Amino acid sequence: MSTKTLSVPGARPTTAPALGPERPVAWPRQSVRTLSNGLQVVLAELHTFPKVAAQLFFRSGNAAVALATPGLAEITATVVRTGTASRPSRRIEEDLRRMGADLGTHAGADSSAISIAGLAEFSGGLLEMVADLARNASFTAEEVERERRQKIEELRIERTTPGFLGSECLRRVLFGAHPYAIVAPTEEQVGGYTREQLADFYRRYYVPENALLLAVGDFKTGAMFEQIEKVFGSWRAPQPEVQKSPAPPKNIGRHVHLVHLPGAVQTQVLVGNLAITRRDPDWLRLTLANSIYGGAFHSRLVINIREQKGYTYSPRSGAHPLRQQGYFSVHAAVRNEVTAATLTEIFYEMDRMRSIPVTAEELDSARSYMTGVFSLGVATLDGVVGQLANVYLERLPADYLETYREKIRALTADDVLIAARRYFDSANAQIVLVGDRAQIADQAALFAEVTEYDAQGKQTSK
Amino acid sequence: MERLRIPVEYTTLANGLRVVASPDRSAPVVTVGVYYQIGFRLEPRGRSGFAHLFEHMMFQGSENAGKMEHIRLINSSGGLLNGTTNYDITNYFESVPSNALERVLWLEADRMRALKVDDENLRNQRDVVKEEVRVNVLNQPYGGFPWLDLPPVAFRNWPNAHNFYGDFTDLDAATLEDVGNFFHTYYAPNNAVLLMLGDFEPAEGFALAKRYFEDIPAHPLPPRANVSEPAQTEERRGEVEEKFGPLPAMAIGYTAPPRGTDDWYAATILDRALHGGRSGRVHRELVLEKQIAVEADGSADTFDTNGPTQMVTRIFHKPEFTTDQTLAAFDEIIRGVQENEIREDELDPVKVKFRADFYSMLEGGMGAHMPRFGLMHYLACFTLFDGDPQRINTILDGFLAVTPKQAQAAARKYLVPKNRAIVVRRPVAHGAAR
Repeated sequence: MSTKTLSVPGARPTTAPALGPERPVAWPRQSVRTLSNGLQVVLAELHTFPKVAAQLFFRSGNAAVALATPGLAEITATVVRTGTASRPSRRIEEDLRRMGADLGTHAGADSSAISIAGLAEFSGGLLEMVADLARNASFTAEEVERERRQKIEELRIERTTPGFLGSECLRRVLFGAHPYAIVAPTEEQVGGYTREQLADFYRRYYVPENALLLAVGDFKTGAMFEQIEKVFGSWRAPQPEVQKSPAPPKNIGRHVHLVHLPGAVQTQVLVGNLAITRRDPDWLRLTLANSIYGGAFHSRLVINIREQKGYTYSPRSGAHPLRQQGYFSVHAAVRNEVTAATLTEIFYEMDRMRSIPVTAEELDSARSYMTGVFSLGVATLDGVVGQLANVYLERLPADYLETYREKIRALTADDVLIAARRYFDSANAQIVLVGDRAQIADQAALFAEVTEYDAQGKQTSK
Repeated sequence: MERLRIPVEYTTLANGLRVVASPDRSAPVVTVGVYYQIGFRLEPRGRSGFAHLFEHMMFQGSENAGKMEHIRLINSSGGLLNGTTNYDITNYFESVPSNALERVLWLEADRMRALKVDDENLRNQRDVVKEEVRVNVLNQPYGGFPWLDLPPVAFRNWPNAHNFYGDFTDLDAATLEDVGNFFHTYYAPNNAVLLMLGDFEPAEGFALAKRYFEDIPAHPLPPRANVSEPAQTEERRGEVEEKFGPLPAMAIGYTAPPRGTDDWYAATILDRALHGGRSGRVHRELVLEKQIAVEADGSADTFDTNGPTQMVTRIFHKPEFTTDQTLAAFDEIIRGVQENEIREDELDPVKVKFRADFYSMLEGGMGAHMPRFGLMHYLACFTLFDGDPQRINTILDGFLAVTPKQAQAAARKYLVPKNRAIVVRRPVAHGAAR
């Protein structure tokens, strides 16, 4: 192998300069208050740009009703933005534009949210818009029908998207009877939901006792609280009941789940197992171990299967902290012929993390990475909103953000080993492959028994 | 109206490297970028996709930081990094805690000075790039729609009209010699701008820039290539097979007025009246009111191109409507802005939204952990293309001054059939997905 140096002359230092002294991270001051109707409000001032971002969360998402009505929370959220008692759809969109605002209404597994961001000079109007959508959504038959058709077409596209098919299948095999198993409804289910079902979800769960309002941006905290009290203070509704979910299965041994996508020119490889929530005492240990394994560009898995072997463009691992039960997963989109080789390396790197302590240098790098990226997130509006949402939605300790960096710095190689042994469960991991059966079935069978599915999620073998 | 003022300081080193500093001490982080004025428009013929493949090679090792060292040094300093290839620029950027500023400058200078790569690195990144093309284009529904579909239909001059991600045969043909030639031709300090944003004093940043970059020799640049397009005389059309997705889609691109002209400002505001989410006329008419489309929106690469570019509308329509029916409904929207002025009570909110979007871009623009990426990006483009980073503080004026009459004139002049190209994505397998 020939090495070519494309060099031009000039004197210069040949080693990287040392890091300078670290400047302390000043977390934007948070103010927390609960209104008399139970609405929890968290504010943080950030004066870098004349913008305000606000998110109103409800602690009920798709999982709240997934066993009876999958995806109902998501379609409800979609329809929420299409009209209120006083504002038809077109008026909402025009009002938003007049305030320089973007609006999103979505539901995930654990929460539903109305998110708005716009110019600070319109902060009062932005809050009124959020309150109007939270309290007065009209669910007209016409809007429901239009959004229903949109949703069905979106689902059809998702069912041709390898990334979607892979995560859908992994969630199903990891969570079994638990509502987290279902990430999307079927076309038939979307076709069957009535406007009364949507309105009922809204009435039950879009209530102040179930809500958290976050606002971050260029405002004065005192004036903002007054505005919020004025807009949200008269809102009253009973607290919803929270239903208990069935336990997810305990998977023993590896199993391969192959989703057949005819004509695929690449294979989406996923490996996963159940893990923990953000409230678990092991959470920071797991995130640190994940960053060494495959959660950063400079991580073992990325170096191995991308930079050394060239199997894939964007391999990554992640710890996913759902509220009741988290999971750990690895994914990589690889050329068909290296599907088995990729799985071998994924398991090799998991087992190496489980058996040999990480080096002092790796540990130090990873701790710096975690604390540094955390600091970057303090410097943007979206970053601050996201971190506050993590803390207050999951009811983490109030000092979570302030103490995060020192807690990360205190972690040891033993902590990483403990986390890897507990949560990189290579012996019982579930394998999902999305690709063309003819190209990969033989490789799949090398790892465990194989169950095949079609793109609709229907089991087609055994 | 509150007017934002961004602090910007600007200097040029003896070797021609332009350096821009924009301090902001509110958080202890810095974002650093090096932008080279070379993109996929000017990659060598027979080497489609090369500018992007080359961008990958810039992460494979430089004289004093071998393979993975660059990435290790940034990640272990608590930072994130990336690079992107665009039509007329290629950028490399990092966000790090501010105590790593000097280290980042050392790394960027090291790879501006001397790339150190071998055949094994090239083979490896060629494989990686092919998987990138598969995951983003060949194995995705609507992959490459319409950014790879439109240029070959819309344009006639190869720099504007080829496959920017690259044919696999061209990627396979790339050699280490090509890598060397490309580096020596375009990766010169006098063809680049260095940007520093965030937690540092400009004087200190300029001193560090001088220390690490100024002795990198300048070299002569090739004469500016001709990227102009021959005059278009009729509407152009193309069709691409959609292998996975179930819905028919179409993209309509109108070639935009030249950068910096009065028409450019007017056409940009016109674009925002037509597009820009659910309040734009295209989405409102096609999705919300006529309900022909499932999704319809569009955009123009206003700030970061320096050659022929298009305002593009993307429509995914219901299978029960034909291409012709959908296009007729779209054309009716275009006729609407040609025949009648957009009234001020519609155009004023469009401008408010334009200002808000501009601020959002400056503030972030690349996710929650890359502070001020957009500010860096715009400053780089104003420096490289217009010679003046201070334009960041005045550019809004031109857009906010556009009148209904000017927007209408731009619609009549530019939104005409002989200035447009249309590409249809036709699903081949829509039975299979249902």
